[in-house]
Amino acid sequence: MEYILDVQDIHTFIGQYHILQGVNVRVPKGSITALLGRNGAGKTTTLKSILGLTPPRNGKVILEGREVQGMRPFEIASMGIGFVPEHRAIFRDLSVEENLKLAERSKGDYLRKKEFIFGLFPDLERLISLSGTALSGGQQQMLAVARALVADNRLLLIDEPSEGLAPVIIENMMSAIRQLSSESTIVLVEQNFLVASKLAEYYVIIEEGRSVKEGNMQDLANDKAAIHRYLGAA
Amino acid sequence: MVSYFRKNYILLITLSVFVALFSAAAQGMSQQDFIITLLRGLAVGSITFLVASGFSLIFGLLDVLNLAHGTLFMIGAYIGWTVFVRPDTFVDLLTPLALIVSGFALRDVYPLLASRIRLGLRMKRILPWALALVSVLILGWILPRYPIAYWDTGNFAQSPVTYAFMASQGTRLPAPLAAFTEISPALGLIGLLLASLVGAFGLSLFASETQSTFRMTWKNFIGFAILLVIGLVGFIFNNALTAFLLGLSSNWLFLVAVIVAMLSGAGLGALMESILIRPLYSRPIYQLMLTLGLSAIGIEMVRAVWGRPEFVMPKPVFFDGTGAGCPATSFADWWANNCSTILLFEGRVRVYNEIFIPLVGLVVLVSIWILLQRTRLGMIIRAGVQDREMVEALGINVRRVFTMVFALGVGLAALGGVLAAPSMGLSNVMGESLFLNALIALAIGGLTNYPGAALGSVLVGLIQQFIIKYGQIGIPIPFTEIIFKPTPPLVPASTVLLMVIILLILPNGLLGKKE
Amino acid sequence: MTQTSISTRTAFFAKHRASLGVLLLLILMPFIVGLFNGASPATVFVNGNGQSKFIQGLAIEIFILALYALSFDLIFGITGMLSFGHSMFFSVGAYLTGIAIKSFGLSLPATLGWLVIAAIIQALLFGMVLPRVKGITFALVTLGIASVFHIVVMSSELGPYTGSDVGLQGVIVPDFISPANERLRFYFIALTVLILVYLLYQRFVNSPTGRVCIAIRENEGRAQMLGYNTFYFKLAALTISSLTAALAGFLHTLYQPIVSPNTAGLGFTVTALLILLIGGVGTLNGALVGAVVFRLLDYGLRRYIGESASFISGAVYVLFVLFIPYGIVGTWRLKSFQIKQGWERLLGLFR
Repeated sequence: MEYILDVQDIHTFIGQYHILQGVNVRVPKGSITALLGRNGAGKTTTLKSILGLTPPRNGKVILEGREVQGMRPFEIASMGIGFVPEHRAIFRDLSVEENLKLAERSKGDYLRKKEFIFGLFPDLERLISLSGTALSGGQQQMLAVARALVADNRLLLIDEPSEGLAPVIIENMMSAIRQLSSESTIVLVEQNFLVASKLAEYYVIIEEGRSVKEGNMQDLANDKAAIHRYLGAA
Repeated sequence: MVSYFRKNYILLITLSVFVALFSAAAQGMSQQDFIITLLRGLAVGSITFLVASGFSLIFGLLDVLNLAHGTLFMIGAYIGWTVFVRPDTFVDLLTPLALIVSGFALRDVYPLLASRIRLGLRMKRILPWALALVSVLILGWILPRYPIAYWDTGNFAQSPVTYAFMASQGTRLPAPLAAFTEISPALGLIGLLLASLVGAFGLSLFASETQSTFRMTWKNFIGFAILLVIGLVGFIFNNALTAFLLGLSSNWLFLVAVIVAMLSGAGLGALMESILIRPLYSRPIYQLMLTLGLSAIGIEMVRAVWGRPEFVMPKPVFFDGTGAGCPATSFADWWANNCSTILLFEGRVRVYNEIFIPLVGLVVLVSIWILLQRTRLGMIIRAGVQDREMVEALGINVRRVFTMVFALGVGLAALGGVLAAPSMGLSNVMGESLFLNALIALAIGGLTNYPGAALGSVLVGLIQQFIIKYGQIGIPIPFTEIIFKPTPPLVPASTVLLMVIILLILPNGLLGKKE
Repeated sequence: MTQTSISTRTAFFAKHRASLGVLLLLILMPFIVGLFNGASPATVFVNGNGQSKFIQGLAIEIFILALYALSFDLIFGITGMLSFGHSMFFSVGAYLTGIAIKSFGLSLPATLGWLVIAAIIQALLFGMVLPRVKGITFALVTLGIASVFHIVVMSSELGPYTGSDVGLQGVIVPDFISPANERLRFYFIALTVLILVYLLYQRFVNSPTGRVCIAIRENEGRAQMLGYNTFYFKLAALTISSLTAALAGFLHTLYQPIVSPNTAGLGFTVTALLILLIGGVGTLNGALVGAVVFRLLDYGLRRYIGESASFISGAVYVLFVLFIPYGIVGTWRLKSFQIKQGWERLLGLFR
């Protein structure tokens, strides 16, 4: 199988805390891979370590055959990673359109992708001139995902897309993500196992900073014991 | 609309208190006094704004409290003075400075070079030091022998004070001549270039090694090439350039001085950020110590080069006419005679100090506003103030934007310095009080809020000028015979008190947003 | 004496060998310096003029500075409040002492009594703004309060009391601690005060209250969530700090012939900040080491370089920041304990 991203035994420190103590994640090209685990297990830190926002001290991050650990975040991102962070991180002082334009990596990205993005999230088009603060939680989440689509990204890192959203909106978001997976590979961090199991083909479970189990989502969904053990009640 | 009032009622009340205060202040004095005081307040506010806006841009995006900002303001003034009063010195300095800086313009190339050289661990540790030492030695040998015609602070007849005084009288003292006598010109130029390259390479080796996706392109050499050309042109056409600058009318020369001061401020800022401040982003409190240290160094350098006594900077003739028909009675009249003063509402207003400076302040206010709102750089700045990490995660080189913003901020301070020089005069301490003013203005307006910086600066300027004015004419206390005259210490005290009160009511300043 | 108490005592000596050594050295220093210059300990003891007396004077200044820096370390380094008005804590003590003795003829104990009251009042004054403002805004508000005090001190209306911009002078110091005739005694008094305050501070930092103060520095929100009313802890730190700084001011007035209004200015707060940055923020020892380095550097440069001394000191600060990144004590600790848990904390201290 061809892996677009191969994270090998990374160790990351935040302050004096040894957050990641050996995480391995392999992401097959074109798949949706979910990182699962309890709160504070290190899922978000894994995403940030891949991007170099919390640079790993040891281990390797191999992106399309190139070692990227130790590079600056903007360099890693420029290789084709779109990041949708936890809590969305919408820029308050920028309008929706500016939020999208900011994500351009070469001139004209936004104009080129406009149609695709607004096809995916029709709501955003009418909000275009509003400032980032005026959006609801669901709209912010759409904008955050849309922002990651402006540049030609081959890999999307999406952190908690369903967090704090109403069920209807979660459905929309899920269908959007499913559509996206035909274009790019997706790594998904998700608390909500139902959402994750419907979307992802592969999974990696992270527990206390270590990756402890990986495989096909199908197998995990049938393995009630494992779900109970690693993720609490399912 | 109603919700806006409800949300911002404290701000609105505060602002209406200010309006009430100013209209009360207007009652106590004649119309001409009021106009003049208002214009003076705007002028002080404009200069404060130039310092404050740069400081606030830097603080907002980089989280650096640049305590050297006042000193950089002062340095801008001295650089502008040098270009304006002693263009020959400026031309002489052009070549060595361009050559010394040129090596640093290649900083993107050095990591690649370093990765090609395989060295033992010990050599790796020694080499940067050795290179830096070699560079310093070469510079130390060449610079004292490099001919630069300048003044002599020890000798009054040739001190900046005298040059400044003569220039303000409209005559120029003959400048001392300088020529290559101790070293050959080629040796001087090549030595400086070599010292720069070696030194910059050595310094770049101090930085920790990181992988980089660097590709060698012609873009990495542009800065170097430009500086090299400037250096060579400055060397070959030294006399012609000097003659050209001396032949310019003082208006154009002033414009050159302003531009040079601004650019050198920006260059200084870029250098400071990329060499000294960059290693400190992980321990912000030490930035305070660093910038304090730099401030002390800056002041001492200015004292060593330009001397301690204060001196003046002449105004360009455009604003300095005194002949027949002055003071001008209308703007058309002024345009014809270029008077230094103009009669407005029967009061004499100094055109440069009280009309030109506020206008420039307004122009800068608007252009930076456009920069922030309409350009991609401005978008990155506005986004970066909120969340640098996310901007970087979008694939934007935030660090380069940091350098640009630092350069911009320091450039604005230097612009403020050179503009203030003809009205304030030059002194070693001119930066300190202005920097304190700027800090107060920012605290009042909102530390990282651009319109807030403008509002705070204008308020500070106005309040100070009105109190100074009332110090002269006195305030009659109602229902008594007592006339209260605010003493000079009340000028700083009033703005400081205002700041404390406003911060206690609105901890984020008037226009600052809640976190 | 039982075996165990002897062994605990040996352990005590072993543990504090370095500190005790320094203490012994400080006690003997006036006499050793005297011997180097050919003055017998007896001469030194009766305060004969000479090198020893001069060194004692320098040491007293360092002790006072160290006391002042310690007080700043408590609120800034330990509790994490950056105050730009700290010089006011010192100068209130200095001026009040001078005015009480000179204008009101109070005795030293009575002066000290007033000093305690004033120190507590001004801590409350600073404390009043605490709930409203945090971080850099707190720094600016304190700067504002202190500047107003500075202007008041400088104003000509209060000239008869404060000496306005010339400074307060002509304070008659009781004979038994006169810095001119009884300097050795003054030296030991200042040393004792410093040591007592230092031990008290160590005790405070290691006490439950001090632990909460450190927690406030690390993350105030978390400390609040744990159920602590952080306001009272900050106020406690401010009060102790204010008392200490006022004590330093008290000694300053007694020792110096003139109290300059500069001690009320921003520059003197910056002095405290620089001392801590040189020595190491939040380490307490750093305040002591920093004061020594700062004063000696200042003295040496002024003496041997003269006018442009601040150029060199500026350069030294820059080099310090680049090469001794966490202050002398801080950096030394990091080197010696490699990945001691403190170091990452120090990194994250002021984020």
